Amino acid sequence: MSAERTKKRSMAVEIWQRLLRNKMAMLGLVILVALALSAVFADVIADYDTKVVAQNISERLQGPSAAHWFGTDEFGRDIFARIVHGGRVSLVVGLISVSVSLLVGGSLGAFAGFYGGRVDNVIMRVMDVFLAVPSILLAITIVAALGTNLVNVMLAIGVSNTPNFARIVRAAVMGVKDQEFVESARAIGTSNTEIIFREILPNCMAPIIVQSTLSVASAILSTASLSFIGLGVQPPDPEWGAMLSSGRNFLRDAMHLTLFPGLAIVVTILALNLLGDGLRDALDPRLKQ
Amino acid sequence: MAEKQYCIDIKDLAVKFTTMDGVVHAINGVDLKIEKGKTLGLVGETGAGKTTTALSILRLIPNPPGEITSGTIVLEEKNIFEYTEKEMEAIRGKQVSMIFQDPMTSLNPVMTVGDQIAEVIQLHENVDAKGALEKAKEMLEMVGIPGNRAGEYPHQFSGGMKQRVIIAMALVCNPHLLIADEPTTALDVTIQAQVLDLMQKLKEKYGTSMLMITHDLGIVAEVCDEVSIMYAGRIVEHGTLEDIFNRTSHPYTEGLFGSLPNIEKREEELKPIPGLMPDPTNLPAGCPFHPRCVYCQEICKSRVPAQTHLSDTHTVACLAYEEGTGVSLGGKHS
Amino acid sequence: MSDVLLEVKNLTKYFETPAGTLHAVDGLTFRLERGKTLGVVGESGCGKSTTGRAILRLHEPTSGEVIFEGRDITGISQKEMTRLRTEMQMIFQDPFASLNPRKTVSEIIAEPLRLHKMFKNKKEQEKRVLELMELVGLSERLVNTYPHELDGGRRQRIGIARALAMKPKFIVCDEPVSALDVSIQAQILNLLKNLQKEFGLTYMFITHDLSVVNYFSDEIVVMYLGKVVEHASSEDLFAHPIHPYTKALLSAIPIPSLGARKERILLKGEITSPINPKPGCRFAPRCEYAQPCCFEQSPELKEQEPNHFVSCHFSDKF
Repeated sequence: MSAERTKKRSMAVEIWQRLLRNKMAMLGLVILVALALSAVFADVIADYDTKVVAQNISERLQGPSAAHWFGTDEFGRDIFARIVHGGRVSLVVGLISVSVSLLVGGSLGAFAGFYGGRVDNVIMRVMDVFLAVPSILLAITIVAALGTNLVNVMLAIGVSNTPNFARIVRAAVMGVKDQEFVESARAIGTSNTEIIFREILPNCMAPIIVQSTLSVASAILSTASLSFIGLGVQPPDPEWGAMLSSGRNFLRDAMHLTLFPGLAIVVTILALNLLGDGLRDALDPRLKQ
Repeated sequence: MAEKQYCIDIKDLAVKFTTMDGVVHAINGVDLKIEKGKTLGLVGETGAGKTTTALSILRLIPNPPGEITSGTIVLEEKNIFEYTEKEMEAIRGKQVSMIFQDPMTSLNPVMTVGDQIAEVIQLHENVDAKGALEKAKEMLEMVGIPGNRAGEYPHQFSGGMKQRVIIAMALVCNPHLLIADEPTTALDVTIQAQVLDLMQKLKEKYGTSMLMITHDLGIVAEVCDEVSIMYAGRIVEHGTLEDIFNRTSHPYTEGLFGSLPNIEKREEELKPIPGLMPDPTNLPAGCPFHPRCVYCQEICKSRVPAQTHLSDTHTVACLAYEEGTGVSLGGKHS
Repeated sequence: MSDVLLEVKNLTKYFETPAGTLHAVDGLTFRLERGKTLGVVGESGCGKSTTGRAILRLHEPTSGEVIFEGRDITGISQKEMTRLRTEMQMIFQDPFASLNPRKTVSEIIAEPLRLHKMFKNKKEQEKRVLELMELVGLSERLVNTYPHELDGGRRQRIGIARALAMKPKFIVCDEPVSALDVSIQAQILNLLKNLQKEFGLTYMFITHDLSVVNYFSDEIVVMYLGKVVEHASSEDLFAHPIHPYTKALLSAIPIPSLGARKERILLKGEITSPINPKPGCRFAPRCEYAQPCCFEQSPELKEQEPNHFVSCHFSDKF
């Protein structure tokens, strides 16, 4: 018996190795890393004050060229520079707001699904109340009440997505909690909280990951809507959704105003979905080849 | 002695499945014959190829991944591999029908049981809907379910009752051959006794031949005339009930009996077969049973045993019964 | 002087269902001596699995006492119960569903050790895991495999190793071999027997398979719809069963030898539902000897012969 094989492989290393074998997931990861890097080094790529916010009416609505890769907008600002800087906002809002809803909604859903009965009823009825209000309206209310800044936007979008996560996690937990291995965990004296987080939730990863990647996309769009009505990112600060909606007026003559921010959103979401799918498979030891 | 008439005659059947993990050799040269009106027990453990054999008779091996690579199956003097798919459809449920293991999932939950039986009748016989339903009710009475329950849905029946409905469905067109794949495994013992009793009576009444697939040698002793013991896609021993139970010859069969607790002598210790079923993608060379066989010799690891006739009715595939192999089964003479 | 490890008095477990109260276990009483095995047999829905779970308080009993080593454990706090779980363990029926698919073999076996903080450092814990694996006949190279990569027999060995990890005194085996092939079943039964000898374990062996229970148990309890119908030593019960249900059950076992066929008692009808049971003997609707009184009055479990308990109004007539 070689010592090598009995040596415990770290769980994370194993998942990473499985992920490495999935080409599509790696593509998604590469795209996301590239987007993240460009967001981090946005100031190096394009200067904020001179390129992103400074208006230059003489160069307005130019098509893509060597000087302006993605063309310029109605105020003559470089769209490429604005997308790079806008990525900061969009990515951060997307990831943080989804983390908020995942944490809050996920835990609530897990407890509701696991305990059932009255706990379930109380939690889910509250979630239903949230669901009854259109999520964008809810977000508007929260931002309007708390004041317009990025943190509140993230919070608002996170809260408005919470019921979706609660529902999905609850359903997944209910599907797993009656399996015998949960009872087996109880028989050795595992506490309820530990059963939920160590035994059940790892077996509910698939729907959670899918929902998370989709939610990042919708969070980016919600930010755009909030910006559009003046509650999100304030002009002249760039943000993908805001760029998309302001470009709509020029759709006929200058398509690139909407095309590039739109592409940025699509690529981000696609990359997230690819990575999410790969992650879901990598986390499931049963799919190991 | 008159020539024996066979309901089905399988020769040298081989089936393989191509999967992501490799090629699974599910059946490797199986010969089976069932005399008209008799019951053959096909005994083996999970993965031995019992169900695949049954599905081959109905030509229901999913292709891909499955493929019948060799052999003939002669049903009523005609090789079924020569039939067209259309002709085959007419045979399934009419000449050959099958009862599956799990009564809970083999009935359509949104159709009444009467309609489900009537559907089979209408598929194979030239009757109108009303006549078919009448016949379905008769059939239900036959299996001990009041005819007026024909309008009920499967969930309104218990497990044993559902299995009765399935038996009614399988027998409604008077098939020549009934394949029963572990028909009572999902049932309780007292219900199992009822169902076996019922199957036995109906079989005698209609003169149906039966292939009884099971892992339970107790059931075999009760309902079968002949037995084939299957291991890793091969028939390792075949014979009449007396041959198998009283003149056990193959080490695997011996191991199966040794694994069963003896209800009369409870002090007797179990003698399990060591090891596990071989990986079907990577079957051992030579005799497939050799890694688990206590009598294994060097030659067993390379030479595939042939079928040796011990008597007119009894065959065994073990090198210990072949001349000049030097393999011996301990105290037992070969 | 007998050394009683477990005593169950009047154990009852009801479940509230939309259709009414389900009497899963109704007034179960027995004693189990240290190092012995009690077999619990019955058909599906007779409450045998619920019995095992109620004793371990995986289902809270509705009423009754479970006295383990002289102490009633039905009233004790969750915290104390958690500690007691090191002494009372369970082996589950389905080796496919009872192991978390996301954990490796060593994680599964180490779980109770980690939970009860048996070892101060990882090294010792790992050593104990390997020790346990060897004990149940699992090869060391399987430590990092996942359950789905293994066959049923090996998975059941993992379940056994996990149950043994805390050196329990009492183990409830809930149909531990019914999902396994015959040749593997015998391996597992032998393993359980050897472990019992080696560690002086006390088993409660729940099964529907009468030949297995006969081989394995010292005493047998036969249950029907939540009630005990007969309780005797294995020899006694198989040599001369008294209750009509036990008789029918024993006669229904298919025996794997020729010429052993005996007269079979075919029961009429099927098991009825234990939801809101009618008064009277629960077996009465299927009993060929049933008299009017059987439908009115529930029979008591009485000692018909020394250490042979039967619950039937006419037990002395059979």
